[in-house]
This record gives sequence, C-alpha cells and structure tokens, in this order.
Amino acid sequence: MASGRRMFAVLLWRSLSVRAGRVGVALAALAVGAAVVSALLSLYLDIKVKMGEELRAYGANFVIAAADPAADGLDAAALARAVAAVPPERLVGASPALYGVVRLDQGNAVLAGVDFPGLRRVSPYWQVTGAWIGVAFDERNAMVGRRLADAMKVRPGDTLAVLGAGGAKAQVTVKGVVESGDAEDDQLFVSLPLAQRLLGRPGRADFAMLSVTVDGAAADALAAAIDAAAPGVSAKPIRRVSESDGVILDKIDGLMAVVAAFILVMTTLCVNATLTAMVAERAPEIGLAKALGADHRAIVAQFLGETALISVAGTLLGLVLGFGLAQLLGQAVFGAWVGFRPLVPPVTLAAAMATALAAAILPVRRAVKVAPARVLRGE
Amino acid sequence: MTAAVSLRASVEPARPVIELRGLGRSFGTVEALREVSFAIPSGAFVAIMGPSGSGKTTLLNLLSCLDRPTAGEYLLDGIPTAGMSEAEQARIRRERIGLVFQQFHLIPYLTALENLMLAQHYHSVADAAAARAALERVGLGHRAGHRPSQLSGGEQQRVCIARALINEPSLILADEPTGNLDEANETVVMDLFRQLHREGRTIVLVTHNPAFGEVAERTIRLAHGRVESDR
Ligand SMILES: Nc1ncnc2c1ncn2[C@@H]1O[C@H](COP(=O)(O)OP(=O)(O)OP(=O)(O)O)[C@@H](O)[C@H]1O
Ligand SMILES: [Mg+2]
Repeated sequence: MASGRRMFAVLLWRSLSVRAGRVGVALAALAVGAAVVSALLSLYLDIKVKMGEELRAYGANFVIAAADPAADGLDAAALARAVAAVPPERLVGASPALYGVVRLDQGNAVLAGVDFPGLRRVSPYWQVTGAWIGVAFDERNAMVGRRLADAMKVRPGDTLAVLGAGGAKAQVTVKGVVESGDAEDDQLFVSLPLAQRLLGRPGRADFAMLSVTVDGAAADALAAAIDAAAPGVSAKPIRRVSESDGVILDKIDGLMAVVAAFILVMTTLCVNATLTAMVAERAPEIGLAKALGADHRAIVAQFLGETALISVAGTLLGLVLGFGLAQLLGQAVFGAWVGFRPLVPPVTLAAAMATALAAAILPVRRAVKVAPARVLRGE
Repeated sequence: MTAAVSLRASVEPARPVIELRGLGRSFGTVEALREVSFAIPSGAFVAIMGPSGSGKTTLLNLLSCLDRPTAGEYLLDGIPTAGMSEAEQARIRRERIGLVFQQFHLIPYLTALENLMLAQHYHSVADAAAARAALERVGLGHRAGHRPSQLSGGEQQRVCIARALINEPSLILADEPTGNLDEANETVVMDLFRQLHREGRTIVLVTHNPAFGEVAERTIRLAHGRVESDR
C-alpha cells in the first residue's frame, strides 16, 4: 500500500517537474489570485472590524437629557445616576454639556461647559492644535473652536477674558484649538464648574453626550434601562453617524468582493488555459494510461491530484505575498497595519481549491475523452 | 490468477478467447481492415504477418479494445465487446491483457523500473520488488534506474515487454516485439514468449520475423486489410 501511494506521489511529482514551465504559470496565477484574495480578506477581517469599532465610538451615540424639555436642564446627581446605568465595559466615554452665551473681547460666543477627559473619549476624531485639557476641574484653561479662534485671532497660549451672566468673569488661557468640522468650531470650551459659574446655573447641565459600544436593538434596550435607573431623565441613541459610516464600509466590502471575484475568475481562466495545454501535450501519456487499463477514475485522480498540489503550493506562496499586499493596502487606504487573522489561510485555500477545480473541469473531461488508439499512433 | 488461467486453459482448450465476425475498421475512406473473421482458442500462440500498412496494428488495437470496429463483431470470451462500457473495457485491459507496443510508449520522465510500477499502479498496487524481477527476466536488471532516453531501442523494447507481463495477463498482444533486437536478445525474447505460451497464456503476436512464424502454432497473413491466409 505504501509502495502504491508512493508510486502515485512519484508520478505526480515527476509529471509536474518535467513541465516546470507550464506548472509555473498555473502556480503563479494561483499565487496571484490567492495573494489578492487573502489581502482583501485580511483587510476585511482586520482593518474593517477595527474601523467599525472605532467608527461606532466616533462621536457621541447616546444623548441623555431631561425628560421634560421645559425643565432647566438636569442636575448633576441625576446625570451621574444615568451614566452609572451604562455597563462600564460598554462605556467608551461621557461628558456633560452646559451651553450659554458669553461675552468675549471681540463679541459674543457660545460657551460650552464640558468634562474634558470624557469629551476627549467621546470625540477622539477632533483635530486639536495645541493640547487637550487633561483634567475635569481645570478653571484656568479653555479650548477654542477653530472658526472662533480664527475670528478672534487667538492661538494656544493666548489668554481670553470671559464675561458671563450677572457680571461673572473669568480669565482663561487657550490650551488648544479644536476642529470637528461641525458647530463645535464656533464654540468656547471650558470645564463644567466654570461654565456653571459663568452662566449662573450651578449644579446644572443641559444634557450629556455618551459614546457607548452598542448597536441597534441593544441601544434601545440600554436607553430604556437608563430611563428606568434615573427618573426624570431621557436617554436616546443617535444613529446618524455610525450608520452613514457603515454604508461607506458596506460599499468598500462590496468593492472588495467584486475585485476578489474578478481576480478569481481571471485565475480560473489562466489555470484552465494551462491545464488544457497540459492535457493536450500529454495526450499520448493519457492514451498509454488507458492502454494499461487506467479507468476514468485513475485519470481524474491524477489530474486533480496535480491540480490540488499546484493550488496548495500557489496558496502558500500567495498567502505570504498577500500578507505583504495587505500591509501595502492597509497603509495606503486606511493608514494602518493589518494583523494576521487565522481565518485567512483556510478561507484562501478553499477559494484557491475551488478556483483550481473549476478550472480543471473541462481539461479533465478532455483527458478522460482521449482516444487511446489515435494518440498512441502519434496523432 | 496464473494458476486459475492455466487450469482453465487446460480444462477447455478449445474455447475461443477471441472471435471476430466480419470485422472492419475504416478511417474515412481508408479501409484498414475489412471482413476479418477468425477465432483464437484459449492458450493459442498466433503470429500475424503481412506487409507494412496491411492493418496489423489496427487489428491489435481492436483486439485490445483500444479502438472500436466500424463493422462486424468482436467477441471476447464469448461476450460482444460492442456493448461494453469504456470502464469495462479498461478493466479487461487491466486484468487480462498485456500490450507490447510497436513504438514502446514508455513514459520518458520515469525510470525503467517506474514505468513497470506505473502499470502495476493502474492494475492494483505498485510493487518495486516484482517490477525489478520482471526487468531481470528480460535481462535488464542493471538498467532499472535508467530513463528511456538512456536506453537503446532494443532495451526500451524489452522494458515494454516486461511491462506487458508485469500484471500476469492471460492474453498477450504484442506488436513486433523483436523489431529492434539483436540476435542474442531476439532469442531471449522468443524463449520468453515460448515460456509464456507453455504457462497457458494466449499470445497474438505481430511479426515480420520468420523465426517467430515457426515458433507460433498458427500464422494469419494480412494483405490490404483482409485475411490472406490462416494456418
Ligand atoms: N488513425 C488512422 N487514421 C487514418 N488512417 C489510419 C489510421 N490508422 C491506420 N491507418 C491506415 O490503416 C492502414 C493500416 O495501418 P496499420 O498501422 O494497421 O498497418 P501495419 O500493418 O501495422 O503496418 P506496419 O507494419 O508498418 O506497422 C494504413 O494504410 C494506415 O495509413
Ligand atoms: Mg504496425
């Protein structure tokens, strides 16, 4: 038996190695196909998942406000209870917000009182020139929106005099200039206690912004749980941001799938052409096999065995190339390195095998149909 | 298997292994064979002779089911071959028939030994020891590791003969097995066929060699695709 299997192995190996040129072409085609497919798969499994997580955390996806819109915002204790109702492992960050209009040297501006460390986690995508304020109770520093800063010609390090309600005053140093591309670019950010003092609303906040890793139906359930835990509070998931980003990601998915399918079709055609040529030049050999009593199964087994061997070798080569290609694409398109995902090799191998077998169907049929008497005459 | 075959051969010596009834094979307008009818009993040693182009190889291809006739009937062991599937015909070739080709048809990238093992592989299981013994039987034990391109025409011919015998076939169809041999090797091969005949195997052998004509019990002469004489 061992000798029998070895003969099969010898036969496969010898017949492949005498046709190194053709085999090389098929192998290269499969390697390229496997490289592209595995690279796209790596991107999909690694970067996309990472990006999805990040995008979901991009910006607030939950707002907690007073249930009664006529109320004067929320008090800090109710807000703390509401935030505490979010499972800590799901809470990326939270910041209260208190808004009001203040007077600056050059005119009025919207003042936002926030929790800076929380805000930073809620808004990781904000572009900051200078630095973030690192602590929640910093009364001497402020951050300024990009457009407001440009209008007032202030830069990090400059000081601002802020005049609030009822003669409340403060002198703050600009620590950073923020750019969100949104309304924040016109606002002045200070810590919540300072804003409460400047606006004459001690212990209050208008609402809280939360970034929570939760989606869809679970988000609604969480909102209900928050409402129940903190009476007088209304929590609402906001879906706008993550869903529109999700649409872009889905489009990228679709594009990658189309590219992968296209490459697999090209690979199939190339492998098919090579195998067809191989069957044609081996017709006498196939005729001899038939003359020696080989049945269709033996001939199919030999060709499929050779095809499988080529596709395994091509896949191995392609996986190595594909990992490199994934890094290239990852850096170029997403600006990130791509990690190794254990699912990539088996899926790529399956795709390469399916491709090679599809490519082998017609050539193998031809091999089986070889007329021995004719080919053995040398026709 | 050998024992069973020789036993059967001795019990019913006259039963025809091969029976042809008005067999014909044309290639387009060329009628390579026409109206060929004869029967070959089990254990017979038949020589087929005739000028080049008279249809000898065409006839052997039909006998081995490598080709199908365009007219007439071919019964193998009393069973019409026309109704057989390709798989059945392959099984018959594998289990019953040993073929010696006029052009050897050795696989160029396999050694002499591996060429024999290939036939074993298609038959059942490759067995290096048995393959080596078969090579020794045709005087080529020392050439086992050589590729066909490293062998002389006569040596290749003997590898081809060894391959035809490797699976102990009961019917041997040989196309000019001594065409490329010197006198010494011709004698070796002729003795080999004599011995195979004594073992009870049926031998149909195409030859131009009159010496073989004498060894054979019966000579069928072909001319222009017809049986010219049979005795
Ligand atoms: N596949 C084919 N297509 C066309 N003609 C063929 C084919 N096979 C054989 N022939 C023709 O049939 C005739 C008999 O050929 P065959 O090979 O049987 O002769 P042969 O007796 O074996 O000759 P040789 O002694 O030279 O080997 C020849 O005229 C040959 O050209
Ligand atoms: Mg001939």
